[in-house]
Amino acid sequence: MIKIKNLSKTFKSGEIQVKAVNNLTIQIPDGIFCAIIGKSGSGKSTLLSLMGALDRPSSGLIEVNGHDIGKMPDSKLIAYRRDTIGFVFQGYNLVPNLSARENVVLPMEFAGIPREERIQRAQGLLKEVGITQEKFSRMQARLSGGEQQRVAIARALANKPSLILADEPTGNLDSATGKVIVDLLKDLAKKEKTTIIAVTHDQSIARSSELTFKLQDGKLV
Amino acid sequence: MGVISRGTKNAFRNGVRSLSVILILSIAIGLTLVMYMSLQTVQAKIDSVKSNIGNTITVSPAGIRGFEGGGDLLSQDSVSKISQIDNVTKVVSTLMDHLTDNTNLQPAQEAGGFGRRQQMGTSSNTITNSNQTESANHDFKMPIMISATNDLSTTLNLNVSKFDITSGEKFDAGTSDNVALIGTSLASKNNLASGSTFQAYDKDVKVVGIVDTGNTFGNSQIFMPIRALQTLSGQTDQINSVLVQVASVDKIDAVQTKLKDQFQDKADIVSSQDTSKQAVAPLENIKTISLYCLIGSLIAGGIILFLTMIMIVRERRREIGVLKAIGASNLLVTTQFAVEALVLTISSSIVGIILGTFLSNPILKVLVSNNTETAGRAGQGAADSHMMMMRVGAGIINGAQGALRDLSATVGISIILYGLLAAIVIAILGSVIPSFIIAKISPAEVMRSE
Repeated sequence: MIKIKNLSKTFKSGEIQVKAVNNLTIQIPDGIFCAIIGKSGSGKSTLLSLMGALDRPSSGLIEVNGHDIGKMPDSKLIAYRRDTIGFVFQGYNLVPNLSARENVVLPMEFAGIPREERIQRAQGLLKEVGITQEKFSRMQARLSGGEQQRVAIARALANKPSLILADEPTGNLDSATGKVIVDLLKDLAKKEKTTIIAVTHDQSIARSSELTFKLQDGKLV
Repeated sequence: MGVISRGTKNAFRNGVRSLSVILILSIAIGLTLVMYMSLQTVQAKIDSVKSNIGNTITVSPAGIRGFEGGGDLLSQDSVSKISQIDNVTKVVSTLMDHLTDNTNLQPAQEAGGFGRRQQMGTSSNTITNSNQTESANHDFKMPIMISATNDLSTTLNLNVSKFDITSGEKFDAGTSDNVALIGTSLASKNNLASGSTFQAYDKDVKVVGIVDTGNTFGNSQIFMPIRALQTLSGQTDQINSVLVQVASVDKIDAVQTKLKDQFQDKADIVSSQDTSKQAVAPLENIKTISLYCLIGSLIAGGIILFLTMIMIVRERRREIGVLKAIGASNLLVTTQFAVEALVLTISSSIVGIILGTFLSNPILKVLVSNNTETAGRAGQGAADSHMMMMRVGAGIINGAQGALRDLSATVGISIILYGLLAAIVIAILGSVIPSFIIAKISPAEVMRSE
């Protein structure tokens, strides 16, 4: 369960204070596919950053699985991001000079999982997201956009997180590939009992989600 | 794939850039090594020159150095007091004179143009017209030098490179008997052998041995006990110069001070260390240049790597953000970049060591050739003087010039280890600030830039 109460995040832009998230209160149950929609600058990516402990809130409560991540020390936040969260980015953000398998292995290496185990698991996850074995050793540049996003999803699942945060996961894909990726995320959510929160412009994703929040100027509408 | 293998792989991610960085950095590291080798070689040579010069002080009549005529010769009484000074281990007295008409010997050397000119310049008989000059040149006979000493256990005061008795035996340096050792050239010219006699100051002098001194000047001389020469030449109790041997190098200054107190302005007192300073001055110049270049090239290497790492870190801000977002700690990411910097510098070190091996001697030769001229001038200035002490000085300086010519840098294991150490220092210098930048990169900024 994710509980957000009176959450605010303020940025300083020159002399002006900008409230990217403004006194927001929401709750997201476990194991669902949730969409956060809104126009550019509505604060949806900032909200995702706060839930993923990539940034700290200016005020308010943000509780994931009973832990107030806003008050966690930096050392615990690293472990939280590594063990509890899986990130999927719009631009895939695979490490360019690593192969598909090495990219999936990376979070497990950070978690200290033994080498053999992490390679086995990485290969299993790649197969699960539809990457064929001959592409395991391919570098990012030799994979299509859809394949890269599949590898990114496999990487997000590597440490069996309870929450996957996806920032515009279909933003760089054509609509057919985008639908395949969304279906894949939804299937994994059900199978792994993982909560998936996707920030998107795509109305079709919003329609197919189990819970949708719409943001405008950092507030729920 | 661990952090080390990832860092290593990243070092060669951009082939062209990596090659350029390695090439530039290797020049800096190579230069650092060359300068370090020069520094070591020169320091070793300085130590060698200083140790060869030894721990001696020369006392000679005031003004004698510049051949300005000098003051009164030293007296036996004043010299006797020297041995009472603390830490003086030996006092060797020398008296020099020359024979012209008061001998039946013929000089070993004919007077050349230089010799005649010197004679004219120093003669008390002023020649005023060209006919007289020609006549004087024709009649001029080279003087025969006599060096007398009270101790033959050292020959540093005699300005010879060796003192090998080729026949006969050494004389007792304390005797007042009219005995002499004859240089090989003079003996050959006058058909002298051990047991022969010759005339000096209109007295018979017995040849007790023939000596090879290793140079023409020495081999054209006569060597006698000092008391015998003092009596023969009418210079009773007079001494040209004194060589004072001190117990150790660190006592030289103290003994020199006491000698100056004793003789005041009546004597010039020069220690071997004073002379060695002049002798090793060009070496010290090379050492200073090498040291500054070493520091400069080390800093340059650090700056090159620093700018490279700054560029790499700025380029990979998003990647750093991603690594942090998926659970990498600051330490882990910083370590990965430090490994990358280290791989670049170690690769550069390997190339730098190869460059250094080939460039060390040519660069050292350039440094030496720029500094030998100074040493040459110093040596020539000393050699122009006729005085014994200055001849000793000139010998030392010429020795140092020889030392300069003999300088040769070699690459050993220690140099390679220092090269790798330099690489690590450069890697640390170049990685510190980029590490701070890495630590400050927030993954959230990467999200916002998407």
